[in-house]
This record gives sequence, C-alpha cells and structure tokens, in this order.
Amino acid sequence: MNQHVLHVKNLNKVYGKKSENQYHALNNVSFDMARGEFVGIMGSSGAGKTTLLNVISTLDSATSGTIEIAGTNITAMKQGQLADFRSEQLGFIFQDFNLLENLTVYENIALPLSLQGVSSKKIKPSVHKVAGKLGIEAILEKYPVTISGGQKQRAAAARALVHEPAMILADEPTGALDSKNAKSLMETLVHLNENLDTSIMLVTHDPLSASYCQRILFIQDGKLFKEIHRKNSRTAFHQEILDVLAEFAE
Amino acid sequence: MLLKLSFSSMRKSFKDYLVLLFGLTISIAIFYMFQTLAQNKAFIESNAMISQIVFIFHVGSFILGAITVFYIFYATSFMLTLRQKEMGMYMTLGAKKGKITQLMFFETFFIGIISLVIGIVIGIGLAMGVAELFMWQLNFSGEGFEAFYISSLTTTVIFYIALFVLTSIVNAWQIGRKSVLNLLRADQKQDQIKTNGLKTFFGVFFALILIGVGYYAMMNMAEFKQFGVILATVTIIPGTYLIFISLLPYFIKKLKQNRSLNEKGINSFTLGQLRFRMLNLTKVLGTVAMLIALGLGAMTAGISFYHNIEIQSSMFHANDVVVHQPDNEDKEILEAIDFTEENVYHYKADGKSVYFLKEDLLNNPPGIKKFTDQFELPKTVRVDKALPDEKYSLYESENASGLPEDWQQALSTELNASYQMFGDKDIFIYSTTAYDKIPTDELQVTLGKVDDFTNYLPHLEKLNEGQLQLAESYRGENVEVVGGKYSNYIAFQAIASGTIFMGLFLGIAFLMMMASVLMFKLLSSAGSDVSRYNMLRKIGVRKGLLVKSIYRELFLLFLFPALVGLVHVLVGMQMFSFIIIEPYAKIWIPISIFLLIYGIYYWITVQMYKRIVLPKEI
Repeated sequence: MNQHVLHVKNLNKVYGKKSENQYHALNNVSFDMARGEFVGIMGSSGAGKTTLLNVISTLDSATSGTIEIAGTNITAMKQGQLADFRSEQLGFIFQDFNLLENLTVYENIALPLSLQGVSSKKIKPSVHKVAGKLGIEAILEKYPVTISGGQKQRAAAARALVHEPAMILADEPTGALDSKNAKSLMETLVHLNENLDTSIMLVTHDPLSASYCQRILFIQDGKLFKEIHRKNSRTAFHQEILDVLAEFAE
Repeated sequence: MLLKLSFSSMRKSFKDYLVLLFGLTISIAIFYMFQTLAQNKAFIESNAMISQIVFIFHVGSFILGAITVFYIFYATSFMLTLRQKEMGMYMTLGAKKGKITQLMFFETFFIGIISLVIGIVIGIGLAMGVAELFMWQLNFSGEGFEAFYISSLTTTVIFYIALFVLTSIVNAWQIGRKSVLNLLRADQKQDQIKTNGLKTFFGVFFALILIGVGYYAMMNMAEFKQFGVILATVTIIPGTYLIFISLLPYFIKKLKQNRSLNEKGINSFTLGQLRFRMLNLTKVLGTVAMLIALGLGAMTAGISFYHNIEIQSSMFHANDVVVHQPDNEDKEILEAIDFTEENVYHYKADGKSVYFLKEDLLNNPPGIKKFTDQFELPKTVRVDKALPDEKYSLYESENASGLPEDWQQALSTELNASYQMFGDKDIFIYSTTAYDKIPTDELQVTLGKVDDFTNYLPHLEKLNEGQLQLAESYRGENVEVVGGKYSNYIAFQAIASGTIFMGLFLGIAFLMMMASVLMFKLLSSAGSDVSRYNMLRKIGVRKGLLVKSIYRELFLLFLFPALVGLVHVLVGMQMFSFIIIEPYAKIWIPISIFLLIYGIYYWITVQMYKRIVLPKEI
C-alpha cells in the first residue's frame, strides 16, 4: 500500500485561453505528503497557495499533471465522483468557518455522515466522540450565531474530522481568530495529528501557525521555492520560518 | 461617472434584475387586468347577478392595491440588497452620500418605469387573451368589455408611478441612513431563530378558534347574511396568519426533532433551510394562502354558477325536448338524439282553440316536476290524476270541466301548450268522441328525455329555431321566446354568464398574482443562500443532491399555503349554497387550473433559484 497520502506530480494550472495572455498560477509543482504528516504551505499573496489548495481539494481542476490522494488519481474523475470523493476522503477547515448557520452545531458536525448514508444511531456516538476531543460537547445544540469564533472553528474542525477522512485541508484556519484562540486551535490540530495520525495540510501566511507543522513548503510565483523540516523546538522552527520569509523579501 | 458605473453593474447582474423585472411586470399586468373589469362600471352592472357587484369590485381593488404595495416594497428592497454592497464601495472610494442617495433613487425609479411599460403591454395582452378564451367557452358575447381601457390604463400608470416614487425615496433614504460599514457588511448578517413554547401554544390555539368561527360563519351564511361576511373576514384572515406564524414553524421543528428523518442524507439542511424560511416568510405565506382562497374561490364560484344553469333549467321541466309539428329537418334531428324516453301526443287546432286528445295523454302520462315544501330539488313524477269527464279546459270555461293542477302543469310546461306557443288560444283536452268532431287536420307534439341535456345543445338550438317559426305561424306575430327547457336554459345562461365570466377572470388574475408574490419573495432572499450551497459543494455534496434539496424545500413552501387556501375554498363554497344548488359540482376544473398555474410558478421558481444559488461547476 502506498505510503503517501498525497502524491502531486508536474502540476500545472494556467488561467486564460491560449490566444490571450496566460497566467501560470502553478508551474510544474511536484511533492509528496506521507501518511500522518502535518505539512504547511506558505507564500505571499498571489503566490499560488490557494490555487494549489483548490486543485488538491478537487474544487478546481488542474491544467495538467497528476494528483493522487490515498492512492486515487483525482485528476481523471468526473464532477459527481469528485463530490463523493470530497465527502469521503477530505475534511475542510476554512478561515471563515463555513458552518451552516441554519443548522445546530450537532447537525453541522453530523452532516458529512448523513450525506454518506450513515444511520442516525451510528451518527450520535461519532459526533459526541469528536466533539469530546475538541471540547465542544456543551454547545452541540446551539446555533453557530450564538457561539464564539474559537468555538465555531472547533465545530468546523469537528465536522472536518467526524467522517475520519484521509486528509484534512485547512485554509488559513486561524485567520479570523485572536491569538489565544489561534494558539489553542493549532494545539488541537497537533494533538489530532499526533494522537490520531490524521494527515493535515495547512495553508497559511502566519509564521506562528506554520511553526506547528512538521514540514513547510514555500511557494512563490506558482513554483515550489523551498522546503524546511522541523528538527528541534517550535520556537526555533518559528525563527527559521521568519528567516526564510526574510529571504523572500530580499 | 457614477451613473455609468451603475449602469455597467446593472448589466453585469442582469439575471438578478431579470427576476426583479419579471416580478414587477407580473404585478403591473395583473393590476391592469383587474382594473379593466373593475373600472368598466357599465359592463359590471349590466352583466352581474349580484347587486352589490360594484362594491365587491371596490373591495377587490382595495385588497389588490394593498397587496401590491407590499409586493412592490419587497421587490424594491430586493434591489437594495443587490446594490448596497457596491454603493458602500463607492462611498469608501469617496462618493458623497447625496450622490449615492440620488443614484439609488434613480436606479429604483428607472427599473420601475421599464417594468411599467412592459407590464402594461403584457396586461393588455393578458386581458384580451383571457377574456376571449372565457367568452368563447361560455358562449358569452361580453359586449362592452375592452381589454384596452383608457381609464384603467391611467389608474395603473398613476398608481405605479406614485408607488415607484415612494419606494425610490424609501430606498434612497435607507441607503443614505446606513453607515459605510453597514453597507459593506450587509451580506454577512445572520438570521436569528427564536421560538417560545407558550407563545406557540397560544398562537395555534387562537388560530384554530378564529378559523373555526370563520368557517361556522361561512357555513351558515344564509342566516348571518352581511354580518357573516364581515365575521368570516375578520376571523379567517388573522387566523390564517396565525397558523403560519405559530403552527407551521412548530410543525417543522417537530419534523426536525425526528432524528432518523433529520439525519438522513441532506434532510437536516433542507429542514434547517425550511425552518429559517418559515420564520421569515410567515406573512408572505399567509398572504399567499389568502390570495389562493380568493382566486380559487372566485373561479370555483364562477364554475359552480355555470353548472348551476343546467340544474336550474332542469328544475321546471321533466322533459328535455318538446317539439310541435316537427318538419322533415326536425325529424332528422330527433332521429339523431338518443332519447331515454320519447312520447308523441296528438292535438287539433282551429282559429280560437287547441284540443289535445285525452286518450293519448292517459296512455302515456307525461312526467312533471313536483315541488315540495322543503328546500330541495323538485322530483320528477308522472301525472296520475284520472280524467273521467268528456271535456276539460286549461283555463276557466263554461262548457268544460276544470283541469286538475298536475295536468295543468303537464300541458302548459311539458307539452308547451302555452301562450308562447299558441298565443291567446284556449286549451282543451277532449275525449276521442268530441275530438273526432273537430274538422281540422290532426297535429302532433313530441316529448323526450335524454341522459345529458348539455350534450345536445347544438341540436336543441336548431329545433328551437323551428319552434320559433312555428309559434310565429300559430300566433301571427313576431316571437322571441318559445318555451320549454332549452328556452329556460338560454335565459338562465344569459343572466349568469356575466357573473361567471367575472369570477373566472378575477380568479385567474388573483392566482397569477399570488404565485408571483411567493416566487418573488423566495427569489429575493436567495442571495443569502449562495454561500450555504457553496459550502455544501465544498464538503462534497453532489449537485444532484443539492438540486433535490431545492426542489423539496420549495415544494413544501409552495405546498403549505396551497393546502390552507384549498381548505378555505372548500369550506367557503358553503357560502353559496343558498344561491347555488350544488356548489361542489365540477370543482375539479378550477382546482386543476389552479394546480397548473401554481405548478408552473413552482417550476420557474426552482429554475431561477437554482441559477442563483448553485455554485458554478468547473
């Protein structure tokens, strides 16, 4: 069985028609992500982070190249299959939470399981289990509008985890949180990664959040620019990230 | 510069504006259509069976006007939601508040004027088309009705321009009042849900009581009279709104509490949407239910009146066909009619009198309609009174016995030995001996019964022409009505068809209006759903499932007011039971018309809603 949860090879994404001015959002990007790894993607605005995430998350299609997630080549799939794939294999955490405000926290978390046709008897223990891990059991019957930003992001994380996906894709999850909540969320993600062996891909421009990752890929002008691994303490890794970013700036 | 910007952005969000234009246009067209009838006083008065018809139209105009005001405010506030973010952006870029206010006023007014022009054109076409269809169907000349009616046109234009000026001012004021930040973040506001158990309980309780009282008033309209109409109005309208405010949200909440239902597939989302919708839509749903009741009620009443003509004309005649002295052409027509019973009676006539042969009548006694004291339809019975004497006279006469009442009725009504046929001749019944002494030629009259009278209307019309000529030759003067069931039918039809026409015309107008109110309100709130559907797509919900959820959600929203409206109509038809004999006859016709119109609106709403909320696939 494949050791990699994600295998990206020669990935290109070009905007614009051939006759017009073309823009290479992704230029021959190749990398792998091991099962259970916590990888960060960093880069300045317009570097191609979001495009990379959208293509990997099957929300956007690649112009060329292959992406394999958990051994499945998603570049050859049709719309319906992609939707099913997303609902089974991927979990999403977004900057603006993306909770459905017309559903309770419980219903939000239960939704991915409902969509897969899991019976409501089996849904209940799964929701409570994941809510317990994220410390949000007390707010399950509340509506998103009545809970805090940090709680919303935990609810969103619970929804991303409840169906035990192959990989979690987090797009600036701390972007809308204050530093205390951001820290707490990142610690939760690390906890999930270490204890449950969840593979996480984090897209961020915040060095502090990124310092919780095991490995960071820097992207610039649609190309992979540099890759660093965390070897010792998080603070040291944070410094190392800042240095790389300074290097960018030059 | 700003003007140019605003035009280009209007062009970009064309599909949203299309929804707006469509809604306004429908409203204007229907309003105009209603006015073509309401303002044509001469037409209404000369064609209605109900004396207070002009008053009824005034009430109708008022209701329609009130609904239209709400409708236009929904529509233009939809426009505000479309534009406020961009207006906020102009302001951050330094546009003055006065300029923005001006721009909003201009835009609202501009859209209003465009829809006014299109709406009136459509309204004229619609009035013409609908009127012609019904006139043709009802065999109703509808003289005096004009689809292009200047006074209605003026009213519509003035009413709408005033409304648009008003709403433009409100829109401009609204946008001027808000801070830049409020405008920019307008689409991030979230709905709140609030329910209160006790309040719900009392709401449901009062709703049921109010509607119960209203229904009782309608069912006993004959006793309550005008008071009943007022009582039903003041109870049923608030009762209906209460049902939508308390009962339906409670019902959806209960549905959601059923975990195995709620947690199946996308149900939790569909029900969640519904629950939120219900709370925002209570007033609209209540209004739609009332409009359905009014429109469908008008149409059903119209069709019942139509059906009533046949019943009324059957009340007096046991025989469907009566033909004196059929000529060859008449005989051919009689051959073609499938009689369930057919009898021939002989008579002779001289300059002063008509003599029927007694033995003919006794051998095949004709049926007559016998009225009882109870309020019920008269039954057909055979005349069974003996006629022992030699000579009988229909009218008082010195040398003949008086005729028993049943025989009088048989002769004058069934055999049409009436003034209309014979003028002022005396009518006698003679036994064979006396009859044979009369020197003139023997004549005859054919009586017949058929299964379905209305099937033979064309035949009967031809026979009627022949009878008119015959009566003219008997009476030596111009004859317009000859008697018999067919004459009655035509007379009743002439009285009722104007009323029926108005019922159908107004019914259709109201139904078109109500469905568009609902459609418009749903579409105008669709913008806030875009992000929800986009999110669902991201977490991997197949497009087919999203579409299914939309179909279901909107179906339920369309269903509830339809059910309530339908029940109102079914009970409300009891109101007419004292003037219409069978108020529920052929009720499937108006219900089918309603379902068709409603179904089309439902389908269009789903399609437009899909276009707005479903994320574009890559």
